Amino acid sequence: MTIRLRIILCFAILIYFFFLFLFLKRKMLSLKYTLLWIFAGLSGSILVLFPELLDFIVKITEIHSTMNGLFVILDFFLILLLLSLTAIVSKQTDRIKSLVQDSALMEKRIRELEYNLEQKGKS
Amino acid sequence: MERKVLIIIPAYNEAKNIEGVIRNLTEKTPQYDYIIINDCSKDETEEICKINQYPYITFSTNIGIGGGLQAGYKYALEHNYEIAVQHDGDGQHDPQYISDVIEPILKGQYDIVIGSRFLKKQGFQSSMFRRWGIRFLSKLVYICSGAEILDVTSGFRAVNKNYIAYYAKEYPQDYPEPEAIVSAKLNGAKICEVPVIMRERKQGKSSINRFRSIYYMIKVSCAIIICRLTRRRKS
Repeated sequence: MTIRLRIILCFAILIYFFFLFLFLKRKMLSLKYTLLWIFAGLSGSILVLFPELLDFIVKITEIHSTMNGLFVILDFFLILLLLSLTAIVSKQTDRIKSLVQDSALMEKRIRELEYNLEQKGKS
Repeated sequence: MERKVLIIIPAYNEAKNIEGVIRNLTEKTPQYDYIIINDCSKDETEEICKINQYPYITFSTNIGIGGGLQAGYKYALEHNYEIAVQHDGDGQHDPQYISDVIEPILKGQYDIVIGSRFLKKQGFQSSMFRRWGIRFLSKLVYICSGAEILDVTSGFRAVNKNYIAYYAKEYPQDYPEPEAIVSAKLNGAKICEVPVIMRERKQGKSSINRFRSIYYMIKVSCAIIICRLTRRRKS
């Protein structure tokens, strides 16, 4: 990895972390869902700070160039993040379903109570 | 002693059918309670329920047939019903068979009873392609759970108290019928079929059109296989 590329990547990672912490500070992200993003950023920093590690990975996996190795690692994290997002969406859907059901059941009870009160008032 | 029976009627855009269905139901089986589950219909289903003072619950957003039925089971559980019967709101099912469907449960022989079109092969039998699809799913259900059911997609079914609680807690989503059989069977349910005669829907379209049927087959097959792989068989 050339020095120039390392400097550019360092900046990119710094910007990445800047936005991550800005979002966290403004409570636009909850920490629970950010852990994987932080982990991905840290892994990226390690690879940039210690490029020998990336070279080593590229060598044992027989990937042709260092940049390709970086792409593969990045792809891996992206897929992992997408999977975790799908998991979160599924869970939210399940919770919304449950809420809609419970509120509908509650609405029926209220409707019945109102009706009974009305009937009592009339008699 | 008469046991408490609740008929769960899921309805999505059934304004044209629902009055006929309820009239038929209250004429033929006045002894049973019923509840309409309005899954945020876009037509006047809710207004019709309100004007006629039918017992109904209504969702603020569309959550699909699985979520609707689960809410019905939750209601049955809350109100201590001993048997719940699923009965479509589109006029395909005939209430005169409700007593046949709950009979094996009353005798205590079975936990879940499914009303089947294919046992006596009378009445509306669906198109050839659909019958092939259903036969395939039926085989798949048998392989994955051991339940020998011909009409796995039938939405006409009765469930005892244990499985009201089971389904209230967890009911498959999207196209839930075959998967609900597999999950209950793997949980140790005793399931049987009784013959019923179904009619073709009176008004409106089926929820599954030709283009969706391929998606339906893939989705349901996957759901059944995943259900088998992720659940441990009890008893």
